[in-house]
Amino acid sequence: MNDPYQTLGVSENATDEEIKRAYRELARKYHPDNYHDNPLADLAQEKMKEINAAYEEINKRRGGRPVGSQNGGYYGGYQQQYSSSVLQQVRAAIQVGDIGRAEALLANYGDHNAEWNFLKGAVCYRRGFMDEARTYYQTACRMDPANPEYRRTLDIMENRQPYSPNGAPFGTLCGGNPCLSLCCAYTLCNGGFFCC
Amino acid sequence: MVRFRRAYCGLCHTLGRRCGPAAQCILNYDFTFLAILLSDGEEAACRRGRCAVHPVHGRDYLPPSAALDLAADESVILAYWQLRDGVEDHDWFRGLKYRGLSGILEPAYRRAAAALPDFDGSTRRQLALLAELERERCDSIDRPADAFAVLLREAAGAVDNPVRRRVLEQLLYHLGRWIYLIDAADDLKADAASGNYNPVALRFGLRDGRWTEESRRAFALTLDQSVHMMTTAFELWEFGVWEPILRETLYGTLFRVGRAVLDGDFHKSGRRPPEPSGEKRRGGG
Repeated sequence: MNDPYQTLGVSENATDEEIKRAYRELARKYHPDNYHDNPLADLAQEKMKEINAAYEEINKRRGGRPVGSQNGGYYGGYQQQYSSSVLQQVRAAIQVGDIGRAEALLANYGDHNAEWNFLKGAVCYRRGFMDEARTYYQTACRMDPANPEYRRTLDIMENRQPYSPNGAPFGTLCGGNPCLSLCCAYTLCNGGFFCC
Repeated sequence: MVRFRRAYCGLCHTLGRRCGPAAQCILNYDFTFLAILLSDGEEAACRRGRCAVHPVHGRDYLPPSAALDLAADESVILAYWQLRDGVEDHDWFRGLKYRGLSGILEPAYRRAAAALPDFDGSTRRQLALLAELERERCDSIDRPADAFAVLLREAAGAVDNPVRRRVLEQLLYHLGRWIYLIDAADDLKADAASGNYNPVALRFGLRDGRWTEESRRAFALTLDQSVHMMTTAFELWEFGVWEPILRETLYGTLFRVGRAVLDGDFHKSGRRPPEPSGEKRRGGG
């Protein structure tokens, strides 16, 4: 096991409160909700395990009892609820990251019901087609408004407050000073290859 | 900024050494950003040297490295195909400048393409796909953005460490998507005036390049989704000395640029008038 203090980014002389704060910041950063449907969720899950182990180890060394480490709930799991075996296969394919297979199965499935739209949204999301993903999730919710999984996924997409250092606002339209520090902005959007 | 400048000068020296002085003309901040992403987290001891731009006092610059070599070759390939696109997209007279510049860059391109044949092939394919989508006036914002995003993602294809490669691929994909979309948004009014293809206008049914409140919110949300995919990727790898620059860019600058573009304050006017004939390739040319 790596040095648990190093894993949490604190010194061995840190107070219990400092350790708890560092742990919470990291737990917020790698929390499953922050990686919902993210193709890198498996890597975040590994990080979360390391952080939890480090926190528990420090607590053990200090003679205290571990203070509620966050084990993370589910990581991008697609719980099967109902519907045909083809759509079950689509879920399984998404679960293992085989997006090509999921897409092919959906393309050959004629009944575009709520589940189909939800899974199509999930495939689009994994591919980075965020605008189309949102549209499919919205359609799934309209077709089956009582389904909590569809509702939750759309809600996460539209209303999630992602991790941001020190809890700073995260979003193009929220907070912050709209005045540009142009030296940095210039880097990405002024006359280079990418926007010429 | 000092460290960023050292990377900028390091890439310039690398371009000159590997590809000749003509290749140094393509240097810009975007390619430097790419070089930073591809670099190791530790910064080697700097060198100091004079150059044509700083002939008296010289400047500190990053010493040669495999990452700078890779970024230099990829930059040359991207710049070359951008110029070739310019030739394709303009009539004979207007295409002269692109033809001339791509001819000057051709020897450097040949060397870079021989070193990175896969990246060269994927760049050609993705730009051709982008051109096709733009020709058919695709009304999805995701599809043309994807064509450019995949092009940029392939820049991480030569990274050995599989975890680092996955992180960089996701980061570069969504950086490419964000750049394509923000460029289209910034061009809304100019494209409405010239009649040029603009996927954002088509997707949201915008007239005269003006946002509705709903479309503005939806567009900001899709930008934020890409920034989120970038930040979640960024947090899964140690970028060492480059971390502060990248953190500020991903958690701050992208939002400020996006906000300014949506507010109409991020003008690129004065740099490029609307083109009446021949559509510019968004992102790639």
